[in-house]
Amino acid sequence: MSGSDTPAITCRNVWQVFGNNADSALKEALSRHETPEAAAQELRGKGLIPAVQDASFDVKEGELFVIMGLSGSGKSTLIRCISHLLHATGGEIRIDGENIVEASPKRLIELRRKKLGMVFQHFGLFPHMTVAENVAYPLRVQGVKKKQRLAKAQEVIELVGLGGRESNYPRELSGGQRQRVGIARSLVADCSVWFLDEPFSALDPLIRRQLQDEFLEIQAKLKTTIVFITHDINEALKLADRIAIMRDGKVVQIGTPADIVLRPADDYVREFSKDVAKGRHARVASVMQAGERHVYGADDPGLRQDMTLDAALARCMELYEPVPVRAPDGKLVGVVNPADLAAALQVEQG
Amino acid sequence: MASLSKGAIAALIAAAVGALCLLLESSLPWLVKFPAVWVLPTTDWVGTAMEWFLALIKPAARSFSALMFYPMEAANYVLSHTPWPLVICATTALAWILGGVRMALMAVVGLGFVLASGYWPESMNTLALVAVSVPLALIIGGGIGILANEYPRIRQPVQAVLDIMQTVPTFAYLTPLLVLFGFGPVVGLIASAIYAAPPMARNVLLGLERVEPEIKEAAIMSGGTRLQQLFQCEIPSAGQQIMVGVNQCLMAALSMVIIAAVIGGFDDIGWEVLLTMRKAQFGQSLLAGLVIVIFAILIDRMSGTLTQDRRDKHDVRVAWGILALGVAVSAAFWGSVQQPGTYALFNPVADSVDRGLSAFTSANAEFLTALKNNVLFYVLLPLRIGLDQAVLPFTWGFTWTPAMSLGLFAAGAAAAVGFALRGQLVLGVMLLIAAGMLETGISQLPWPFVLVGAGALAWVAGGRGLAILTVVLLGTILLSGLWERALLSLYLSGAAVFACAVMGGAIGLASAVSPGVWRVVRPVCDMLQTIPLFVFLIPVLMVFQIGEFSAFLAIIAYAIVPMIRYTRHGLVSTPEEMIEAATASGATKWQMLKDIRAPYAAPSILLGLNQTILYAFAMLVIAALIGTTGLGQSIYLALGQADVGLGISAGAAMAILALIADRMVQGFAEERRKALGL
Repeated sequence: MSGSDTPAITCRNVWQVFGNNADSALKEALSRHETPEAAAQELRGKGLIPAVQDASFDVKEGELFVIMGLSGSGKSTLIRCISHLLHATGGEIRIDGENIVEASPKRLIELRRKKLGMVFQHFGLFPHMTVAENVAYPLRVQGVKKKQRLAKAQEVIELVGLGGRESNYPRELSGGQRQRVGIARSLVADCSVWFLDEPFSALDPLIRRQLQDEFLEIQAKLKTTIVFITHDINEALKLADRIAIMRDGKVVQIGTPADIVLRPADDYVREFSKDVAKGRHARVASVMQAGERHVYGADDPGLRQDMTLDAALARCMELYEPVPVRAPDGKLVGVVNPADLAAALQVEQG
Repeated sequence: MASLSKGAIAALIAAAVGALCLLLESSLPWLVKFPAVWVLPTTDWVGTAMEWFLALIKPAARSFSALMFYPMEAANYVLSHTPWPLVICATTALAWILGGVRMALMAVVGLGFVLASGYWPESMNTLALVAVSVPLALIIGGGIGILANEYPRIRQPVQAVLDIMQTVPTFAYLTPLLVLFGFGPVVGLIASAIYAAPPMARNVLLGLERVEPEIKEAAIMSGGTRLQQLFQCEIPSAGQQIMVGVNQCLMAALSMVIIAAVIGGFDDIGWEVLLTMRKAQFGQSLLAGLVIVIFAILIDRMSGTLTQDRRDKHDVRVAWGILALGVAVSAAFWGSVQQPGTYALFNPVADSVDRGLSAFTSANAEFLTALKNNVLFYVLLPLRIGLDQAVLPFTWGFTWTPAMSLGLFAAGAAAAVGFALRGQLVLGVMLLIAAGMLETGISQLPWPFVLVGAGALAWVAGGRGLAILTVVLLGTILLSGLWERALLSLYLSGAAVFACAVMGGAIGLASAVSPGVWRVVRPVCDMLQTIPLFVFLIPVLMVFQIGEFSAFLAIIAYAIVPMIRYTRHGLVSTPEEMIEAATASGATKWQMLKDIRAPYAAPSILLGLNQTILYAFAMLVIAALIGTTGLGQSIYLALGQADVGLGISAGAAMAILALIADRMVQGFAEERRKALGL
């Protein structure tokens, strides 16, 4: 495998169907119908639940890939297929080129020990173990000596900012701290593919923002491949390199945050991005007409490709002269600088 | 007809069959009394089959019994040869670690009482049995629970078997075991292990099922093998529930070890109770009973601390100190301490209890006899053989005439019509049926009516499947020739359950309304639930002697607790929002109770009733020791004669009655829960 050419994760026509005899029912439905929609329709007619339908995408090495959808859209099921907590009913899932749908139980244990890490929405901490024991557990199952594994756990505990809490039990921690333990545990075995299933959804908004920022820092440091599940479009836009949007078991659009905001594939995606401050997520490059020989005026506010629309707009506004402001009866009460208007709309620069 | 509800149809069918039976009674006597020639000798068949089967596995059983002899002897030797100061201090040290000062004090005082009573050696014999049977039960139960969790396919059948095992009366286990293992303590050991394993299995399975899915997934994603997942993550996570299982297992084992004393052959504390009871030495009997209660409470409370979420840490050094004290005292006074069995500090007390009791019973003889006779003649007897036979000039002052029967039926019919006109057809017809049953007597109900009526009730409670099951199972009892005894059992437990429902419901209601009442009732309930079945017999026997009335009282005392608990729990656990909404709507306290709390509590109260029924059946068999008729008596007799066929058949009949009652009430509870969207 030559590095960056092979995607870290490949999903091809992945199906997850729940119900009796799902395997044969899916095969039959697929052989009889051309489109996945028709096949899914038939499965539903038989009382089966096609929770994931024909999902296909690649995740590049080191990419932060977010799967977003509302509850019941199949996103949690999909991530469980990829991490093989569920056995996918149909399709192919490759991690570093290896088809894990067909991996033996022994190989799966090995993969989980060496390569995969996962963080859960409700933390999934072991209530009878201390923070340090929880974090060191993936090493314990591998038979790493106690002293060694606790030392390694200590490193990761420091990384997530929980130093000093090693001997506490999960029940003695706040929600945010618990999820830090969950994150530390998933990192302790140096995974190269990291699954996060709505890791911040159960937390307060303030703690959530804080953990998102720290998560981005950790990601910048470790550069693992990440599959991140969320139902929060703002979280998706903030974190993602690319986003897959799911609805009723189907992946309806895959694209960069700017694609999702500016070029929604359908009304459903549009509805999502409606409440999003587009100027904060879309970059100048996404609305620019490419090429060197375009005609432009004399002014140059100094725009760059990777500026957000908000920032670019503010720069342009600076070119304006101050304009008058009047009272309801039309009397002049002051002036305002358009650049200040633009600046006031901006939240702190990310 | 289409507009009739399911309940109305069922009630009308039952009433029609009942009326038909009454009308044809004189011309077709086989309607009332199932003809003996129709009875299949199933009891003999079961006996033959079982004896053949038992003979087959007897060698294995006997060698197992020989094997168990060693740990039992060892436990017995250790417990009875350890100096008592050391035993007391070791127990106290353990109690300190588990529950601090309070628990340690309880242990000292409790064991001190046991020592002073002079029942120390017998108690140690009992404990030795428990000490061997509990690990056995824990391993078997835990293993079953884990296997059922690992293989979802066997989960359903395992649950069903556990359900049935819970309904099979304790005595019924003993007869085949007696044949298998012969007389002796091993039977008690095996019986208690078998009896104590199901609660463990149930709780292990429940605990493992309830482990958060994400914890299971985290264990998988950490790369654990299945065994690592199970033993390092899932079982510890389910620890609390498993500890509940351990607690129940201990209590069941103790209870069964004491019941098994009826077989005799082992000088334990249950035997002591039985012996003194037979000799009418009630003071001594009470004393021995108290020793049992002390052990039950100590074992329950000490193991109960393990089920608590957050335990206080108690300094281990104190425990070591207590233990060291025990060693020191034992060593210092080695030889000079008395044999523990020779203390009999309470013998004067026991004697004076005996004297006081005689004085009390003779002083209040009139009142006690009146109470007993009134209940017997005016409540129990009519229920049993019907007003038409129970009403005699000797007791009631007049003779029951057919005209009176007619009048009763006319009144019932009038009530039925009256209620039907007001739209409450079901209630009306039920009243009519009740009038009919009162006239005939439960033990003399025509069998077609019982089959149809039970089937109809089952149909309403749980649909066609349950109805068929009910009729088929009752049919087997009918064909096996145990029908009359089954009806007698049904009558006594029915009367007791009814009394429990009324009184327990009232006490539960009072406890829900007033926290003050609950503060008094709660410890009494705790106490009644910890006491082994057997001990309930002593006080009723002391005051009312052997007989049906004593059995009736013992059953009530044991079976009333769940009714109280569930009623109160249901009533007080109404969600806060509903209370607030009702208050905001201007409901008074009484309206709140009637309109909000009671409907919400209905499923919970029904579950309480269900438990009460099962408890009543369990006690019915034990109560056979002090004089009941019916299946309980048959099981007890079978034990005495080592009659496997009768023991198993009567036990099965009992289990069938309990099972049917259980399924029906569960069905109604389920329906209520669904209606409430719970």
